[in-house]
Amino acid sequence: MEFTREIYWNIGSGAGTLVPMYLLLLVALSLLVWGGWQRIKVYRLGKALQRTDDLPQRLVAAISQVVSQRRVMRVAGVGTAHGLFFWGFFLLFIGTCLIVLQADVTDPLFGVKFLQGRFYLFFSLVLDIAGAVAIIMLAGLFVRRYLIKPEGLETRREDAVIHLLLMVILLSGFVIEGARMAVTELGTDLSLWSPVGLLFAKSLAGMGEESQRALHSWLWWGHLLLALGFIALLPFSKLRHVLTTCVNYIFIDHGPKGGLVTLDLEDEATESFGAATLAELSWKDIFDGDACTLCKRCQDRCPAYATEKPLSPMKMINQLQQLAFNTPDASLTETVGKDEIWSCTTCRACQEICPAAIEHVSKFVDLRRNLVLMEGEFPGEEVTTAVDNTEVNGNPLGMAFAGRADWTEGLGVSSLADDPDVDLLYFVGCYASFDKRNIKIARSFVTLCQAAGLKVGILGKEEKCCGEPVRKLGNEYLYQSLAVENIERIKSYGVKQIVTTCPHCFNTLGKDYTDLGLDIPVDHYTVFLDRLFGQGALQLESSQPFACTYHDSCYLGRYNDIYDAPRRLLERAGGGVTEMTKSYAESFCCGAGGGRILAEENLGTRISETRAKMAAETCAPLLVSSCPFCLTMFEDGVKGAGFDESLTPRDITEILAERLSSSRSQRSE
Amino acid sequence: MKILICIKQVPDMESRFKLNAAGTWYSDQDLAWRMNEYDEFAVEQAVQLREQLGEAEVVVLSVGPDRVKEAMKKALAMGADRGIHIQDDASFEKDPFQIASAIAAYAGDQNFDVIFTGMQSQDRSSAQVGVLLAGMLGLPAVTTIVGFECDGSRVTVRRELEGGLKSVVKLSLPALLTCQLGLNTPRYPTLPNIMKSKKKELISIPVSDLLKVDALTATTLARFPEKRGAGLILEGDIGDLTEQLVKILKEKTAVLN
Amino acid sequence: MKALLIAESRQGKLLPGSYETLAFAKQMGAEAVMFLVGSESGLPQFDGRLYLADATAAGEYNPEEHLRLLLEVVSKESPELIVFSHSSYGWDLAPRVALALNASQISEVIDCQDGSMVVPVCNAKLQRLVKAQSALTVVTLQSGAFTPADEPTGTPTMVKLVTETAAKIEFVGYEEAEAGGVDLSKAEVIVSAGRGIGKPENLAMVEDLAKALDGEYGASRPVVDSGWAEHNRQVGSTGQTVAPKLYVACGISGAIQHLTGMKKSEFVVAINTDRDAPIGEVADVLIVADLKQFLPALTTRLKG
Repeated sequence: MEFTREIYWNIGSGAGTLVPMYLLLLVALSLLVWGGWQRIKVYRLGKALQRTDDLPQRLVAAISQVVSQRRVMRVAGVGTAHGLFFWGFFLLFIGTCLIVLQADVTDPLFGVKFLQGRFYLFFSLVLDIAGAVAIIMLAGLFVRRYLIKPEGLETRREDAVIHLLLMVILLSGFVIEGARMAVTELGTDLSLWSPVGLLFAKSLAGMGEESQRALHSWLWWGHLLLALGFIALLPFSKLRHVLTTCVNYIFIDHGPKGGLVTLDLEDEATESFGAATLAELSWKDIFDGDACTLCKRCQDRCPAYATEKPLSPMKMINQLQQLAFNTPDASLTETVGKDEIWSCTTCRACQEICPAAIEHVSKFVDLRRNLVLMEGEFPGEEVTTAVDNTEVNGNPLGMAFAGRADWTEGLGVSSLADDPDVDLLYFVGCYASFDKRNIKIARSFVTLCQAAGLKVGILGKEEKCCGEPVRKLGNEYLYQSLAVENIERIKSYGVKQIVTTCPHCFNTLGKDYTDLGLDIPVDHYTVFLDRLFGQGALQLESSQPFACTYHDSCYLGRYNDIYDAPRRLLERAGGGVTEMTKSYAESFCCGAGGGRILAEENLGTRISETRAKMAAETCAPLLVSSCPFCLTMFEDGVKGAGFDESLTPRDITEILAERLSSSRSQRSE
Repeated sequence: MKILICIKQVPDMESRFKLNAAGTWYSDQDLAWRMNEYDEFAVEQAVQLREQLGEAEVVVLSVGPDRVKEAMKKALAMGADRGIHIQDDASFEKDPFQIASAIAAYAGDQNFDVIFTGMQSQDRSSAQVGVLLAGMLGLPAVTTIVGFECDGSRVTVRRELEGGLKSVVKLSLPALLTCQLGLNTPRYPTLPNIMKSKKKELISIPVSDLLKVDALTATTLARFPEKRGAGLILEGDIGDLTEQLVKILKEKTAVLN
Repeated sequence: MKALLIAESRQGKLLPGSYETLAFAKQMGAEAVMFLVGSESGLPQFDGRLYLADATAAGEYNPEEHLRLLLEVVSKESPELIVFSHSSYGWDLAPRVALALNASQISEVIDCQDGSMVVPVCNAKLQRLVKAQSALTVVTLQSGAFTPADEPTGTPTMVKLVTETAAKIEFVGYEEAEAGGVDLSKAEVIVSAGRGIGKPENLAMVEDLAKALDGEYGASRPVVDSGWAEHNRQVGSTGQTVAPKLYVACGISGAIQHLTGMKKSEFVVAINTDRDAPIGEVADVLIVADLKQFLPALTTRLKG
């Protein structure tokens, strides 16, 4: 038997088939285009945003991400299921395209038929397997959504419609194949290359040929209608993600991770800052709503959601979408809710995991910018006080700026104003300068640098808060004032290298400040010390083994992909790290980000205590981090969760400094 | 309606003070400056009054060196319309009587309907300038207000007395009121208002144009207070401290039996 | 030297600051004459002339009339000093008197040294010594700075003043503070919470210590303003003035408004991480420690 099949068998390949078929296709495509255009009009309600630079590279990267399903498959189980389902459906789609290509183009125009011979066998087998896999995966996803019902998964009527539609399309495809094979291929070798179809054919073998042909014909047209219906339905349902999610990959932010738009505050024409209404969001913000499939991976990882605050990143994205398409003039603040807006810690867990490349964090900051810059509102009086303190004294703690270098007593560190000839500028940050617990970190770090023979300089009383907490709270104006002053001071001393012990300062000086003119290399101490050890410039005298668990700070890990350097440092010190379940990019926030270190946590349960519990579960006696915010939160969180007898929060600098020669480690106290 | 707010720029009270070279006041080196806390309530109340009336002219005034204009800009950003800066690099040497006189010399022919001031400054705390100014202008004054209502020509204010007690007082405009903590929550200036304030009029008048009187008091010297001799400072291990304190309480007081 | 002392009364009751003015006059070695707008049922006990105007006629709050009456007395007595308490009455009236008499005014006096008045400035972080450069000086005294050594005795020689009505300022009435609860002025032991407790939850450890000491808990103004404690717990110039046997100040920096409320405590223990905090001025013992660790430890020790 020839290895091929007659396209349009039993249907007819004349105008009686082709005309209605292509007319229906035209209708479907018109609905697709019209529906799409309605949606594009809504995207365009948003402000302009440049995301088309290097377009060819963007397209290639997007296609590669779609085809590989890399983002989707990052979460095992459901991710794998969707990936396999996608490939199944995608292969079937390619298969259909190949058939159309031969039947309506290459054959009639050039007499070329490629769906034959070995290729056809391969084609047949692959599509059969693809279809079977797709059905199995779809069934699995159905079980998950309707029987297992994972907590937080929103199920709507359209989900049922989509499940039904896809299942019927897939199953009907096999029944059609089975009916055809029952008439044309039973008992042949060829049939073995369509194993699933063969099963269906065998079960239909009992019907007479007339019934088989009738079944085949009806289902063929039905299948066509459903498939075209699928295409037409795309813009009007969650199925649009087939297009929108893929397109969202094209428009990914190529700027530094976690970068925010640096508002132009000089522009006198700008009357409005932040986002109060839809028109003040960008088109991308609106488009993100359409790219969302409510997969809840962001919600699952949100520390605010996990501690019963009203915030859910998924809900916020969905609310913006609903608003954009139903009530575009509504107030964003009222729609999302102030408690929700202020609860975000900007930990980026949502964005890191989102398979649709949605940008959640910047939307919260935009909403906050409106509240702060246009309404003068903060989440609480304690925050207004902290912001006021930052304005007056350059630190949110309200400490006199003149004493910012008091922590250096006895260490032999001068301010750049007194001695600008240094190997590095240590940008200390507010907490390490003034907070008793964190001063130890500053002293430890300096001791380590001095042990490596480096001369450390600080800005001292000329140093102001880097501005990060107030920036994340939405106060772009105060942030820029602080940044400009810091940058001016730093540049005036001809600094060549900056090191920080705070990931927030690190992220801000290293990335945010480049928008305002700072282009000096900035390192976080973990990378800096790791390098010194690697160069042999630093050695520890003792490294008695000890057990610990390591917490990946959001602004070091997810924001800057620094995971290994801290662990290497701990290893050198003798530390055996028992990882928490949520570590590396899945690390769970300490709760202090997004400016929330300045605020009281009044809603839900404590994020810091939740994380402390996770640390306690490792049974390690030390909870080690490399961020002053995390350390501060854990001191409270460990106590609050009742683990203060068994778990001690520590910073890597302290652990290292203690293991220098005893004379040096004493000075770090 | 014409409203005047008198504000003072003071150092942040968390600052570590040093004495100036003459030893008569604090040195202004290495200090963070801010608007006097009590004056923030005055500014806020003036702006709220204007919002209530729909229309009014709100003038902010301050005496001091050029740096006080920063505090005035904050008042402008909160909503004041224009500023009068009485320029005086040695304002700290003037006594309340002189300060009030200089302000009165400016305000005398300006016909303000309401004057708001803080009840005292956080640095000198003499609580005199407001009431003196009212007397010099022939206006009734009420101090320490924590509540304010105005119907256009008559105001009802709540005064904070001692022990949580308050009194309610009514008077007709024009009048001067000194503001106490609890009167209102000063607004955080919005960015559009900060930008607008940069264009608002801020005139400087040399103090010599306005001040024609001598001081009635003189500061002999300024100093740090003596530590109370009997004060014992204990530091160290929590357990040890607990024991030490219990011992002291048993010895020195009758509260532990 | 003659001092005209301005006594204060409210709703017929004489206020204790009146005796502090007498103590000041004594320290200055000045002859004391008193002025009071009050009632015959609440007269100060001292031997000297007392000019009395009836409060119901002159008004509980009527600065113009009080000023007029006072000036009448000044013209009769020609004092060198006019002494007020630095109270809501004193700081309201004193500048008017000073202006009318072209006198200098020195506010919130805590002491007199070598002819100069000592006044606190900058939240009591500094002090100034101020000399008057006028013939007549008006002073206001910080509450609690001049305590009478003995119990008040004596009978004043009364001179009645005639009041005129027609007040420009209409006094409507008093508003009591929130009713109910605690009279800290009667407590023998008070443990007070300041901003240093950090979070409202930590008030519990202050309360626990107070209970362990068989006393009451109090709070500084910032704690009350933040809503962490009721107003009737507030110690300070706008709260209650207390004089317990033991006052434990936890995380209280010692702002002057608070100090004036508790300075008269017999024994003061302060717990603060800042060894330079102004509370150290009045503390008999300053424990430099984290109250979050020390308070529970002390409470456990006292209970055990």
